Amino acid sequence: MNEQHHFRLPRRQMLKALSSGFGYLAFSSIAAAAAKDRDDSKSINPLAPKNPHFKARAKRVIFLCMRGGPSHLDTFDYKPELIKNHGKTGAFRGSLMKSPWEFRQRGESGLWISDLLPEIGSVADELCLLRGMNTDLPVHPRAITQMHTGNAQFVRPSLGAWTLYGLGTENESMPGFVSVSQPSGASQDIGTAFLPAIYGGTKLGGSGGRSARFRKSPSGTSVADIKNPNLSDQQQRTQLDFIQRLNEEKLRRDKEQPGVEGMIESYELAFRMQSAMPGLMDITDEDQATLDLYGINDNATSSFGRQCLMARRLSESGVRFVEINHTGWDTHFSMNTRFPQQCEQIDKPIAGLLKDLRQRGLLDDTLVVWAGEFGRTPYGQNGNGRDHNNKGYTTWMAGGGVKGGFSHGATDENGHEAVEGKCHIHDWHATILHLLGLDHTQLTYRYAGRDFRLTDVHGNVVKEILS
Amino acid sequence: MAHITFGSLQRVALGALIATFFAGQVWAQQEPAPRELSSQEVDFFESRIRPVLIKDCYGCHSAKSGASKGGLMVDTKDGMLIGGDSGAAIVPGDLDESLLWSAINHEDYNMPPGKMLSQREIADFKQWIEMGAPDPRVVKAANIKSEITPEDIEKGKEFWAFKMPTMPSLPDVAAGSWSDEPIDQFVLAKLEENELKPAVDANAESVLRRLSFDLVGLPPNPQQTAAFKSEYKKDPRAAIEKVVDDLLARKEFGERWGRHWLDLARYAESTGKEVNITFPNAWRYRDYVIDSFNKDKPYDRFVQEQIAGDLLPASSDAQWAESLTATGFLAMGPKTLTEQNGRQFHLDLIDEQVDISSRVVLGVSVACARCHDHKFDPIPQTDYYAMSGIFENTTTHYGTIDTVQNRRPSNLLVLPVADPKLASKKISRKELGQLKEALEKTQEQLVEAQRERRQKRRGMNSQNTKKQDSVGVGRSVLNVARASSKAGALEAKLNSYDSNGMPYTFVMGVQEADAMQETRLLVGGEFNQPGQVVDRGLPQVLCEQPVEIEKRSSGRLELARWMGSDANPLTARVMVNRIWQHMMGHGLVRTPENFGSTGQRPTHPQLLDYLAVKFVEDGWSMKSLIREIAISRTYRTSSQFDQKSFEVDPENELLWRFEPRRLEAEAIRDSILMISGDLQSERPYASIVGRSGDGLVREGSILSVASPGEQKSMGGRGMRRRRGDGGGVKPSVATIDQPSGHRSVYLPVVRDNVARSLDVFDFADANMVVGKRESSNTPDQGLYFLNSKFVIDQSQKFAKKLMQEASEPQQQIRLGILWAYGREATAGEISAAIDFYQEFVVSGQGSRRDSSDEALEKLSALCQGILAGAEFRYLN
Repeated sequence: MNEQHHFRLPRRQMLKALSSGFGYLAFSSIAAAAAKDRDDSKSINPLAPKNPHFKARAKRVIFLCMRGGPSHLDTFDYKPELIKNHGKTGAFRGSLMKSPWEFRQRGESGLWISDLLPEIGSVADELCLLRGMNTDLPVHPRAITQMHTGNAQFVRPSLGAWTLYGLGTENESMPGFVSVSQPSGASQDIGTAFLPAIYGGTKLGGSGGRSARFRKSPSGTSVADIKNPNLSDQQQRTQLDFIQRLNEEKLRRDKEQPGVEGMIESYELAFRMQSAMPGLMDITDEDQATLDLYGINDNATSSFGRQCLMARRLSESGVRFVEINHTGWDTHFSMNTRFPQQCEQIDKPIAGLLKDLRQRGLLDDTLVVWAGEFGRTPYGQNGNGRDHNNKGYTTWMAGGGVKGGFSHGATDENGHEAVEGKCHIHDWHATILHLLGLDHTQLTYRYAGRDFRLTDVHGNVVKEILS
Repeated sequence: MAHITFGSLQRVALGALIATFFAGQVWAQQEPAPRELSSQEVDFFESRIRPVLIKDCYGCHSAKSGASKGGLMVDTKDGMLIGGDSGAAIVPGDLDESLLWSAINHEDYNMPPGKMLSQREIADFKQWIEMGAPDPRVVKAANIKSEITPEDIEKGKEFWAFKMPTMPSLPDVAAGSWSDEPIDQFVLAKLEENELKPAVDANAESVLRRLSFDLVGLPPNPQQTAAFKSEYKKDPRAAIEKVVDDLLARKEFGERWGRHWLDLARYAESTGKEVNITFPNAWRYRDYVIDSFNKDKPYDRFVQEQIAGDLLPASSDAQWAESLTATGFLAMGPKTLTEQNGRQFHLDLIDEQVDISSRVVLGVSVACARCHDHKFDPIPQTDYYAMSGIFENTTTHYGTIDTVQNRRPSNLLVLPVADPKLASKKISRKELGQLKEALEKTQEQLVEAQRERRQKRRGMNSQNTKKQDSVGVGRSVLNVARASSKAGALEAKLNSYDSNGMPYTFVMGVQEADAMQETRLLVGGEFNQPGQVVDRGLPQVLCEQPVEIEKRSSGRLELARWMGSDANPLTARVMVNRIWQHMMGHGLVRTPENFGSTGQRPTHPQLLDYLAVKFVEDGWSMKSLIREIAISRTYRTSSQFDQKSFEVDPENELLWRFEPRRLEAEAIRDSILMISGDLQSERPYASIVGRSGDGLVREGSILSVASPGEQKSMGGRGMRRRRGDGGGVKPSVATIDQPSGHRSVYLPVVRDNVARSLDVFDFADANMVVGKRESSNTPDQGLYFLNSKFVIDQSQKFAKKLMQEASEPQQQIRLGILWAYGREATAGEISAAIDFYQEFVVSGQGSRRDSSDEALEKLSALCQGILAGAEFRYLN
């Protein structure tokens, strides 16, 4: 990390480096490599594709982040005993509540899936359910942070940042880690902590009010300030070269200044994004069948459908890690009305995404991950709601390297606590990295004299689900 | 659909007017004192009422069926009394107020759906309500025994943060000559303990730029830089003292530091959430905060005003108006106006008030104990309900226009001192009369529409339903909704004027409830699972002596006086930590909202206590504390990197250097405006939201009805069909993010619709308490500096200014750097600029453009580059 920046290359050479693809990044890394022998001297810029530790089963990730803690008991964890125990109190704080919705077996694999998710049910044979999930705390901010970074207490790099650090990215004109409709105030979920800033997630489509714009815009989403109204590309490049020389001057003066390094890299990425981004965000080139597949012309599914389609387009273009967000799963009451709406909003879009990835041949090396920060209690709350439950819940994966139509792990008879095939968030992280060809114990970053990793000192790869 | 009743103006204590603006129903019906039911009463209920409820109502309104349509549950006594989103189902003894009565008569509602109860059943309900609705279905109150024992609480007081701060003795240091102030001695002692040395002094330019940004949020101008340089050379400390005193006296100080407080107060001008409705009077709180910081209001008093400004003694109407405005702090939170259940809404509101006051002022999270004992700190669940009882007996007035989606409107308070700016909005008696007439007419229409609806429904129930009947019912329902909404807007309008046609000056805030109610603990935080009664009180672990609360008062005044004082161990510590953080980059406790056991320990515990005790001794003067930090040696250390120190202390917890940091969004935007010469330094009246009046936020715009007094004609025809419109109210649309030359603190803060210039640089999310902003580094920021219209326009103005001040490009470059970076240009910067001049090819060369155009184009692009550079955005 502490390469010294007391170097000065001839100006001509510097400008040449600046104007070639990776611009300043390339320049700075060549210089750094020249200044100091590095272990990883093959990689000349921090975002260039890197070889994994071993053969990867997936090249990229689409993370479908369900915020609020979706109930596993009404989606993917069928509990016939809970139906029998309905109304009993037992050791619980409230009386047990069966799912108000029917479950049935889907696909050739016969996975049990709720009737609220018929479309996802139709692609059951792609899914690999992890029904023994558990995490440390039943409080939203901490559990969400832990799901993203492994650690709720300290600020640590997120899963996406680690992935990008480990593998680089395949599209130099796009951020390697993109989060679509990231809620505000949740920057830590896509943050880099001590990893270089360039590995951080870039928000797309805004949050809150702006996600409404994401939904409404006819051609996908517009990116603010993506084009300069006055300057030609060449003029802007000259201007940017000037900015970067000022920044490089500052970096030389300040010696150790990660913020400025990050800014230099961000500017180069921003410059390249100007040409790549508008086309990628414009979905007018998609045919009607594709739009229908994602439910984009339907009010209930339009918003999340667009996000799913955007996820495919970004992945297809080489973005390494895409996170898309769906909120509103915190159903403490009125589940009977709200929960079906939640499910309807994601059902068709997610099924559409899996089908589309399959038909494009992308699903084999794209890992799709569906997860909330925790599940919900089998006992009821406020009449028809469920409380937070970190002890047992379900997530699933599909695509690159996992068994389709497969279920691993189980909760107890009522669905309260994981009892078989337990998968803690650390194990989950280890498994995702493994599928990407990264050994979670080897993917480390030295900071302040210590090697850090995503899984800290924990984590076991869930081998049973590997195909 | 919300069913709203309209009240009229009423007077409250001390002459405060509460205008029932969009007077929603008050959810909390007085519960009669529990008494034993007679056996006849129980028999009547069991034989005549309960069977009907089970047969015809439980299907949609009971825990067993898991349904609570309209938020209503009728399977418990409380459920009936609390009612659903439209109000109480039963008001014992009062048929007219009992919604259930009108519902089973198919008046406002049509219950049970599609069917009338028998005449006898209806008569039974009448009799039952009139006899006081005796209902034996009382949920047995659980008695929750806390797992946190009194001994645990006593033991908990041993935790560092829950012990009273005491003045520490100054530590011994080896390099005594380095330290100027007690602060320095504490810092140096820690460094020496770890065998580190403080960094050398920073140069004059860096120190001045720090002071200027930290104290007023703006950069120094070249004259100030030059003057300071020469004085700093002579006597650094004297130079700093002089500048600090100047800066503290400027009105920009309050604009900078008031904004820090607004981050904590989750200040916003709209409700946020699904239906985002404006708070057109929120800006009065903003101005109040800025003014309070500028007059260096003692922090203890400031805190008291936030919590109970309405109850503090006031020596004049002006002072009273000021402290009443302060209680906007409790009313400003995000609101889920679509909440179906009135009780749930109210509990969430109270919870938010407990949460914000405890975290902002005390740095502990009491709200963690809403559903169960605090998991980590010795705060039992009963402590939460003791504190929530205080807010439960408080009414919160946040306004919000009544629309069909707004199920939870409230009224506002009238300021005792009228806003003189509103005088011009006075309407004539004639106009007032017209308003009244229009309202009466609309109310007649409403009555007629309701009658027609009733008729249509009865008709539909008596025969087999035909399609056109149901269409007719649908239309009649719509007519009622329209007339009711129009009447609502008209009434609101009428209620916003006094009898002379003068608009009232409204403000958001709180008041004491009329009659005190006892508070019950709620098992699991659930409103339908009441536990034992909990006396109102304060978190025990923070009280050396228990604080008594009078039965007849809510206890809010006691809470305010305890919070805004040194009677608890945290208020002073938490605030000095915040001030330290804003000056030094990090707090001494790096989790500013969490001083509890899961928070971080102070890096310099003795220094923290020194500052806290000193703060109290100095009369809680924030300016004095800021001054003390600013003149310390520690504050003026260089930000120079040092490898050895970094290895020992990578997070700079020991303060071996000044922590370099990125400027906040406001500082970046305001600096650009100042440098270009475009900054309008005076305060604007209100804000875009305030000037737009009541309205709905949609996709970056405010759709509003005209603000009080602005409407001219009373014609209700030709109106666009839009919810929220009332008759005679002109709708208008205002873009939220529009160009402005005012300081950023005056830009509209609409939840989830923050201006791009602020959003892109991590502006505080107004949905939560933000004690420490994020400091991200993203390509989006790059795009903003490269391409945004604001930056491009301002760069051109900057260039024009430089061209007026200097003629030669080289001078212009030097001057530009001096303005933007607050120091002389380096040789490297000059040569980079010269190279830029050589390489930048102006547009349309060889055409008719003259050379001055070309020069401006080049210099503008260069100026943009200077502003886009890292040096501009960083404080060294």
